[in-house]
Amino acid sequence: MPSDETGRAGSPGEPLLTLDGLSIRFKGAQANVVDGVSLSVNPGETLCIVGESGCGKSVTALSLMGLLPVPPAEILSGRAMFEGRDLLGLTRRELGEIRGDRVSMIFQEPMTSLNPVYTVGDQIAEIVLRHRRIGKREARARALEMLRRVKVPAPEKRLDDYPHQLSGGMRQRVMIAMALANDPQLLIADEPTTALDVTIQAQILDLIRTLQDESGTALILITHDLGVVAEIADTVAVMYAGRVVEQGSVTSVFDDPQHPYTIGLMSSVPSLGKRTGSLATVPGMVPTVDTMPDGCRFAPRCPFASEACRREAPPLRRVDASQAPGHRVACVHAPLETTFGGVAA
Amino acid sequence: MLAFIARRLLIALPTLVLVSIFVFTLQKLLPGDPALVLAGEERDPETLAFIREKYHLNEPILYQYFYWVGGLLQGDLGVSLRTNQPVLSLIADKLPVTIQLAVMAMIIAMAIGIPTGILSAVKKGGPVDYIANFLALSGLSIPNFWLGIMLILLVSVNLGWLPASGYESIFVDPVRSLETMIMPAFVLGTALAATLMRHTRSAMLGVLKADYVRTARAKGLSERVVVIKHAFRNALLPVVTLGALLFGELLAGAVLTEQIFTIPGFGKLIVDAVFTRDYAVVQGVVLCTAAGFILMNLIADVLYVLLNPRMRNAQ
Repeated sequence: MPSDETGRAGSPGEPLLTLDGLSIRFKGAQANVVDGVSLSVNPGETLCIVGESGCGKSVTALSLMGLLPVPPAEILSGRAMFEGRDLLGLTRRELGEIRGDRVSMIFQEPMTSLNPVYTVGDQIAEIVLRHRRIGKREARARALEMLRRVKVPAPEKRLDDYPHQLSGGMRQRVMIAMALANDPQLLIADEPTTALDVTIQAQILDLIRTLQDESGTALILITHDLGVVAEIADTVAVMYAGRVVEQGSVTSVFDDPQHPYTIGLMSSVPSLGKRTGSLATVPGMVPTVDTMPDGCRFAPRCPFASEACRREAPPLRRVDASQAPGHRVACVHAPLETTFGGVAA
Repeated sequence: MLAFIARRLLIALPTLVLVSIFVFTLQKLLPGDPALVLAGEERDPETLAFIREKYHLNEPILYQYFYWVGGLLQGDLGVSLRTNQPVLSLIADKLPVTIQLAVMAMIIAMAIGIPTGILSAVKKGGPVDYIANFLALSGLSIPNFWLGIMLILLVSVNLGWLPASGYESIFVDPVRSLETMIMPAFVLGTALAATLMRHTRSAMLGVLKADYVRTARAKGLSERVVVIKHAFRNALLPVVTLGALLFGELLAGAVLTEQIFTIPGFGKLIVDAVFTRDYAVVQGVVLCTAAGFILMNLIADVLYVLLNPRMRNAQ
C-alpha cells in the first residue's frame, strides 16, 4: 500500500479537522437545525455521520465547505479548525483556495451535480487548472489519469463525453475523480450512494475506500445506512435532530451502543438469515425545527424518558472508564444496563 | 446537423403555405375595393373594368390565389397597385433599413438586458435587483412612441446632438447612418431589453439553484466563474430562443417607431400600403415577414442544439 505515512494506521497526533460547537439556524426557525455539534477527524481516517433525513448531517457538511446559502442559513457559533485555520471564518477568496484543493466534496445526486454543457474531461481538468500551475494539456492528462483511477471504462473516449451520456454510477465516479484530482487532505461525501442502484452502491463505496487507502485522504461520509458505517468507518457520530447523541470508534459504538436512539437505529437494521417477526422501528417522528422539545430532543420518542430528560439537554459524556476513551453519549440514563437493569440489552 | 436543418426547413414549408392562404384571404375580407382606389377621382366604369381586368379582380378567388402563388414561386410578388413598382424591389429597398434597425436594436437590448438580468438574479432581493426590476417594468410600460418623441425633444431639439429624423444608408455614409438610427434603435432596444432582462433573470434564478452550480463552488472557482461559466452558460439556452424570436419580431418592422423617426423601413411600407389598399404590397410584406420569422425560429432551434449537448445526440 503506497503512502503509508498518512495511511489509516499512522499519525495519532493532531486531528486533521476539529469541529467545535457548531450551531446553525435557518432564518425564521424556532430552533437550531444544527445545535452545538463537535466532531473531529484524524488524517487518513474515516468518520461516518449517521442519522435520519433532516437531522442536520448534510447542513453540517455543507457548512464546512462554505456551501450553505447564507441567508437563509446563519452560523451562530462554532469553529472548524483545519490545518490551523478556521474554515467557518474564512473569506470567500480564502475558501476558494481550499475548496477543491485541500478539502473536496461529493454529493448525493450524481445525475445533476455535473454541468450538462461541458464534457467530463473539461470539468475534471477545470478543478486541476484552478489549483495547480499547469497547462491545459497537462490538466487533460490528469483528468484522463483520474478517470482511469476511478475505473471508468474506456477513459480516453469518456473524456469527451457529456454527463448525459453516462449512467448515474459513472457520473458519481466522475465526481469522485474530480474531487480527488488535487489529492485533497479531506474528502466530504454526502450520501454518495443514496441515489444509486444497490449493486452500484457497493462498487462506489469500494472505490472510495480503495482510493482513500491509496492516497491517505481523510473521509467524512454522511449516510443513513448503518451497513455502510460498519463497513467503512473508523469513527462514527450519530446525529439526532441537530445534535450528536453518540460518538466513538465504530467498534465501540456498534458493540456497545449507549443512546436509546442508537440502539433503536441498530435494531431497525434488517439482518440476513434470522427473521424475528416484524422489523423493529423507532416509534414517533423526528421533531421539526419548529416543534423542537426543550431538553433532550429524543425524549418524546424515548421509552426511558424521565422528567430530567425534558428539563435539560444532556451533554456528551463518557459513560464509564471501562469504555473506549473516545466513546461518548448524550443521555442521562447511560449506561442503560445499570439504570434499568438490562432492559436495553 | 445538416439533416436537422433540412428537416426543419421542410416543416417550415406548410407553415408558409398556411401564411400565404391566411394573408390572401384576410386581404380579400377587408372592406374597400382596390380598383376604386386605383381609379382615383374619375370613377368611370370603363376604367374600373379595365383595372379589374388587368389585376384579375374579376376572376374567382381561388384562381386569384393560385395566380398570386404562381407568381411567388417565380419570384414575382406582383406590382404595387399605387406606384406600379414591383413589390419585390420595394421590399428589397426597405429590407436593409429594417435589418440595420433590428440589428442595432438587438445589440442595445442584449447589452442592457442580459447583464442586468444576470446581476439582478445574483443579487436577488437586494437594491440592485429592485432597481433593475423597476427599470424593466418602466421599459415595458413606457410606450415606444412616447419615449421616441421625448428623445427627439431632448437629444435633437434641445441639445442638438443627433438628427431628429431621416435615414442614410450605412454603405453610403456609415457615421451619418448610425447617427440617424441610434435613437430609434435605442427606443426599440430598451423595450426588448426589459423582456430579455426578465427572462435572463428568471432563467438565472433557476440555474443558480442547480446542483452543478454548487459543484462549481465546491471546486473553489471564483464566484464570477461560477456565475458566468457555469450558471449563465446554462441560462443562455432559453434566452437565445427568446432573443431570436424577438429579433424576428423586429424584422417585421416597428410601425410606430419608424413613423416617428421617419425611417423608410418595413413598418412604414406596410402602413402606407394598408392605407392605400395596395394589397399586392401588403401581401408581399406580410409574407416576407412571416418567412423572416420562420427563419429566425429555425436559427433559434439551430443555436439551441449547438449550445445544448443534450440535444445534439437527440436530434
